[in-house]
Amino acid sequence: MNISEKSKGIIDSCRFCWMCRHICPIGNATGLERNTARARALGASLVVRGATKLKEISDNIYECTLCGACTNNCMTGWDPKVFIQELKTEIVLNGVAPDYIMGLIEKYQTTGNVYGVLACACLNDLVNNDSDVLFFAGQDAILKTPESVKNSIALLNKAGVKVSFGLDQDSSAAWWFLTGKTAETLSVATKTAEKLNQFKTVVVYDPVDYKLFLHEYKEWGIDITAKVIGFNEYLLSLIENGSLKVKNNGKAYSLQDNYAYARELDDTQTGRKLISKVGVVKDMLLIGKEANLAGQLIMAEYMPNVMTEVALNRWQNAINMDCKTIVTENPAEYLALKATTPDGYQVLSVEEMILENI
Amino acid sequence: MNDFLFTQILTELEDAVGRENCSVKEIDKVTHSVDYFWLSRMWADRGRRMPEADFVVSPKDATETSKVLKIANYYKIPVTTWGGGGGTQGGAIPLCGGILLDTKRMNKIYEVNTESMYIECGAGAIYKHVEWAANEKGYATMHYPSSLTCSTVGGFLAHRGIGVVSTKYGKIDDMVLQMEVVLPNGDIINTSSAPKHAAGPDLNQIFIGSEGTLGIITKAQIRIYVQPEVRRFRGFLFKDMHSAFVASREILQKFKPSVMRLYNEAETASLIKKIVGVEKPGAFMNIAYEGVKEIVDVEEKILLETFAKYGAEDLGSEYGEKWWKEKITFFYPGHMMDLPQMFGTMDTIAPYDKIEKIYYAMKEAIETNFPQAKFIAHFSHWYEWGSMIYDRFIIDEKDVPKDPVEAMRLHNAIWNLGVRTAIANGGVVNDHHGVGMKLGRLMKEQYGPAMQVFEGIKKSLDPNGIMNPFKLGL
Repeated sequence: MNISEKSKGIIDSCRFCWMCRHICPIGNATGLERNTARARALGASLVVRGATKLKEISDNIYECTLCGACTNNCMTGWDPKVFIQELKTEIVLNGVAPDYIMGLIEKYQTTGNVYGVLACACLNDLVNNDSDVLFFAGQDAILKTPESVKNSIALLNKAGVKVSFGLDQDSSAAWWFLTGKTAETLSVATKTAEKLNQFKTVVVYDPVDYKLFLHEYKEWGIDITAKVIGFNEYLLSLIENGSLKVKNNGKAYSLQDNYAYARELDDTQTGRKLISKVGVVKDMLLIGKEANLAGQLIMAEYMPNVMTEVALNRWQNAINMDCKTIVTENPAEYLALKATTPDGYQVLSVEEMILENI
Repeated sequence: MNDFLFTQILTELEDAVGRENCSVKEIDKVTHSVDYFWLSRMWADRGRRMPEADFVVSPKDATETSKVLKIANYYKIPVTTWGGGGGTQGGAIPLCGGILLDTKRMNKIYEVNTESMYIECGAGAIYKHVEWAANEKGYATMHYPSSLTCSTVGGFLAHRGIGVVSTKYGKIDDMVLQMEVVLPNGDIINTSSAPKHAAGPDLNQIFIGSEGTLGIITKAQIRIYVQPEVRRFRGFLFKDMHSAFVASREILQKFKPSVMRLYNEAETASLIKKIVGVEKPGAFMNIAYEGVKEIVDVEEKILLETFAKYGAEDLGSEYGEKWWKEKITFFYPGHMMDLPQMFGTMDTIAPYDKIEKIYYAMKEAIETNFPQAKFIAHFSHWYEWGSMIYDRFIIDEKDVPKDPVEAMRLHNAIWNLGVRTAIANGGVVNDHHGVGMKLGRLMKEQYGPAMQVFEGIKKSLDPNGIMNPFKLGL
């Protein structure tokens, strides 16, 4: 198996350690022993030692969301995501990927996305290339939550910001998730960077894309010369400089910290500052860097029941602390929580929260 | 077993727990074959496969557990119960194959009862999740072992676990009110509705520590506590272990601190220096005392006066607070002993009139007979009548046999000597990690004819001997 020494070091450190078991959103949803960083590492270590085959562990590798809760929890700093992503590349290149993963890859190759759907016609009117500020909604929002795209652009327009927008906005997040660092991942990323670099400023809606631009693109040697800024941060700046007028209604909102913002980009505050502009922050358990993931759209394609449990577990955190309104920061978690909302509770995206207070 | 019969049993198990909760996948068998036991880890590290179950099942409750046990009894298939797999004694390893019953689907928090101060939960709940449930209501479980985040309620009960604030709040066996247990024949029973009574022997205490050999704990009521108004720490440095023992014994006659941890000179100079930063030579002791502020003020005064009398250097609160913050850090890879080292924790417990003698006897036995082994120890759980030793041997890579068979031989020889020394001097075979397969052979040496009580209960409840074979010496 062709994986880096770095990955082998992480595998050998994690294979007998259970310390992060309690925070894995998948393990907590399934109760399965294999859904732990230690089980994935143990399986990989046995492959490295020739005691089992790569195919035997491939399903389990794809049962990880890459949310990084385990990485954040590790007092030593081991990052299981590193070997998981390298293993995905090995799995795909060796032709032992599970059928459902191959199905998604084929769907992407056929339709341009893993969901096999077209962008909503309702977004066509928003397409333009007139501004030097690009609103990068990302594939998930364009394909799965078009209302979020419309609302976000409307909000920016209210603040006097005209933005360019296109329907082909693929950060390569899906390729990265499915195959790790492959030629296809890099090819899509390179083309996307070229597009971004035609603009002065890029406002990135989905923190998962934002993280990819700031971290992985850099690691892959793909330069982004445009100024890239997260949607939350941009919104906050518009409110603070007076371009966007909001009122504070005193309502309690609970932030569903997205892992990319909180753990990868070290930003646990911008979302809360936004809430503070229009209401009051009421936190539930497992917030900030310890945030419990609520949804992942690609995994919902091949393990929908588990992802429903993941969302329900997050709702349980909200219920236990009487957090009635959850505010999400990305499309995957918005959809997952929306689909499982208990009676008497509510989920809003950040832009919906701001819009209800203008 | 032939394919036909195997498939027949598989379909019956699927019928009991649902097809998606019954696995014969290699990944599930492999991940349930290695627990925290050094031998299982070494075996896997050397590229060998540990004994694996034939079926991995995850029942959701006592009813499904009952169905599984009825099937197992009919076909006379071994059943090994797996909680978190964080045990150090090999208790969860399916040595004889058969059914591996993973309890983690039984993880429901049924009730947080703030009137009678308990949480009722499935035995497969990760203890940290129970702690979160308590915290959400403003309470705490006060069970904080290093494996808090890895292990289940049932796992702690089955192995008589203990946490770092045990001196004040007790062991896990002090923290449970009522339990639901599925007997090997599939009957579902409940222990008495209150843990203190005069209604015959204590059913709780028959199943606590039984390590899955007498039945499967499926639900428990776990105590919760009011969060302390204050929790204060004080570090001390004793010149020698004897004065620390005497001072500690005296403190326990006056009040109960929550944390009491005394590290011998070798562990002070290694782990404590590395993690907590204590540089001076001596025996480091960390004490925490907590509760209502006025009472804690008095306890602090008594503590300082008593320890000063025995020459302890007061290191203030800094090291103790650092220790509290880092108390789990000790156990993360990179901070803890790990392969390729060989290591083990031979924890024992004894009354005060024996504990010091046991410590020195074990130290001498290990250091004399296995000069390649480093011996470190701390004393982390204290009572009015005695204390436990958490003593460890560590052998560096160069002295660990490459041949796994020879490695096992050396490992077991050290354990035999260490534990037999403890027993010979009045100690108990184990304090809070349990027995498992690691120490099963030493149970008869510990108990002598008293072992027939355990054997009688086992034979009566599990006549087919299907429950966790070769564990607990049964």
